[in-house]
Amino acid sequence: MKAAALRYLPLVLLAIVWELAPRLHLVDASALPPLTAVARSWFSLLVDGDILFNGVSSLLNLLYGLIGAIVVGIALGVLMAWYPTFDVFATPLVRISYPMPKSALIPVMILWFGLGAGSKIASVFMGCLLPVILSTYNGARGIEQTMIWSARALGASRWQVLREIVLPGAMPEILAGVRNALALSFILLVAAELLVGQRGMGYLISFLGDGGVYDGMFAAVLTVSAFGFFADRCYLLFMRWMLQWRE
Amino acid sequence: MGMGGSGIIFDEVCHTYRPRRGRPVLALDKISLDVRDREFLALLGPSGCGKSTLLYLLGGFMPIESGSITTHGKPVTGPGPDRGIVFQSFALFPWKTVRQNVLYGLEKQGMPRAEREQRTKELLELVHLSAFADSYPSQLSGGMKQRVAIARTLAVDPGILLMDEPFGALDAQTRALMHEELLAIMQRSPKTVVFVTHDVREAVYLADRVAVMSARPGRIKEIVSTEKPAGAGSEFLQTPEFAEKVEHLWGLVRDEAIRAQDAAH
Amino acid sequence: MARMNPIGRNLLGWVSVVVFLAAWEILARSHVFTEFLLPSFSASFERLVEDTLSGELLRNLGLTLLRAFAGFAMGAVAGVVIGVCMARMPLVRWFFDPIVSIGLPMPKIAFIPVFILWFGVFDESKILMVAFNALFPVVVATMAGAEAVDRVMIWSARSLGASPRRLLFEIAIPAALPEIFTGLQIAMPIALIVAIVSEMAMGGEGLGGALMTQMRFADSRGVFSGILAIGIAGSLVVKAMELIRRRLLVWHQETQSG
Repeated sequence: MKAAALRYLPLVLLAIVWELAPRLHLVDASALPPLTAVARSWFSLLVDGDILFNGVSSLLNLLYGLIGAIVVGIALGVLMAWYPTFDVFATPLVRISYPMPKSALIPVMILWFGLGAGSKIASVFMGCLLPVILSTYNGARGIEQTMIWSARALGASRWQVLREIVLPGAMPEILAGVRNALALSFILLVAAELLVGQRGMGYLISFLGDGGVYDGMFAAVLTVSAFGFFADRCYLLFMRWMLQWRE
Repeated sequence: MGMGGSGIIFDEVCHTYRPRRGRPVLALDKISLDVRDREFLALLGPSGCGKSTLLYLLGGFMPIESGSITTHGKPVTGPGPDRGIVFQSFALFPWKTVRQNVLYGLEKQGMPRAEREQRTKELLELVHLSAFADSYPSQLSGGMKQRVAIARTLAVDPGILLMDEPFGALDAQTRALMHEELLAIMQRSPKTVVFVTHDVREAVYLADRVAVMSARPGRIKEIVSTEKPAGAGSEFLQTPEFAEKVEHLWGLVRDEAIRAQDAAH
Repeated sequence: MARMNPIGRNLLGWVSVVVFLAAWEILARSHVFTEFLLPSFSASFERLVEDTLSGELLRNLGLTLLRAFAGFAMGAVAGVVIGVCMARMPLVRWFFDPIVSIGLPMPKIAFIPVFILWFGVFDESKILMVAFNALFPVVVATMAGAEAVDRVMIWSARSLGASPRRLLFEIAIPAALPEIFTGLQIAMPIALIVAIVSEMAMGGEGLGGALMTQMRFADSRGVFSGILAIGIAGSLVVKAMELIRRRLLVWHQETQSG
């Protein structure tokens, strides 16, 4: 208990500085509203339903895009690793397009899918697809040949090897890739929402900022940050649980 | 069936190794070899002589380019549960527990559940790992891992057991214990064994016959009988007979090892 | 897996790119999609050449890369300093540990309106936004690298009479270099992504701003040629990082193997 308090003391100190700096007029209160004002604003946003409405909208779009990318990405990654003809054709394309800064695709997604949820989901999907493909591919390629041979010698068919050996064997890398994708999905979703649209946390942030409601804007920014942080922590727990066979 | 109905027959097997860069290398040159039913044959040779490749061809993991391999009269065309294999790197499925590893092959054979569980229990007893049934491979020592791998392979009761330097990654004491254990298991349920090793003493101690292979390209240089008196245990290691065989085989392997080293430069 | 010599593999790799571009071209010309949704590859490429010749594209691309690099450099320097200090000074470690562990996974992109509020919509705001995003992966990687420096190496350096200062600059930092570089390689793509988003959100010149303007004016060819350009630039930057890594870490075993 004491150790935890000591560990998180720096955050408390930061919070105190945040509260006191505008109150003592060290910084302009419109540039940095006191933390208590931000907290009050957060409660009113919560009570009015703004956070719930926009939060759920963001969360759903994030999940649709991310889950789509995970499913398609794992399937493509395994196919590329398993079928040489597929490998030869698809891998160069993936390698060439991988370094492209994913956010550049947002305008195309808006052109294709409009200003609504479609372009948000598509942006998340496109941004997360390649990291999942590549990590699955690397994971599946990295499996020891002898493990595959062992399964074959025990009577497993090629398809069974793929499902029962290659997929779980590639799981550590797949899970790490999905963690990257999770971080990317937040970036792309919030970016797309900041740029266009009428709902979502990104929209809420830019709406409040444009309206000069800065304590509300900070409240929304902190909410998104907390959201991203907890999503990562929960995923980390899930990952540990999935990989408990290690060490 | 008919002729050659028993054992394994290698008939003029060649294999060319094609690296990603550089020119192809002839790895195996017209290997012809008969392994008798229930015989323990060791393939002995310097590293890089292609002895493991020969084993993988027999396992059906790689395509046979020229020549043929038959087991019990049937040509090898792919992997199958009639030929179990144990690798130096254990090749356990790390996300499965010890029990699940042993169960895997039995599931593939379509054995009923109760029978499967029973057989797994017996095998874990056989390799003295009952207490670790629910451990993951990462929690075991090297020797234990290899015992799991052996149990997993024996579970499906293959007629032929292929062993690819199975004890190469273990320390000397563990290896000696594993030798005892393997011999005990073979006594209980005899199998045709093809055992790849570069350890002369191991080959002499375990095998009935030792096929010495030459450095690349791999050829069978000589086949030496190492039959032991029936029921001979580890005390055989102290006999002059044993020392003599080791001496003889070491002489054969030594030249090849030197050649292999020179070729590497 | 299939046996195929490397030349054949590379050739087939290019074939796949050509097939992809041909498919794009055919799909665009087949009028399944309108020119607005999918301009053909040839039209986009023509536009790419046009804008390159007029200098507009290069200026926008140059500005974007400049902002990305400037922010990346700031984030990298600060990240290495903080990371090394965290590994070696308990007090610094205590202070930054919770901040970094929250800051790393947090979607910092949400701070764009805050940066607009604080720093405006011009270069400094965009560059600081990039730096803010690039900082955290570098801190974490540096700290991990500097912590994992082999104790035996430190002991032997000490016994050879190295001072703490020299120990830091001649042993600890070089030994942590592979990890630091990994952090930089994570931070670089982030820097590019954030630079483009910042430009999109804050407007003005630069590729991100140009893309948004072209999108608003339904100039699909412009959008696609811009994406081609940033795609090529991104590939070159990532490739360059790999080359630098190999140069810098000649002594490291990873360079020898593979």
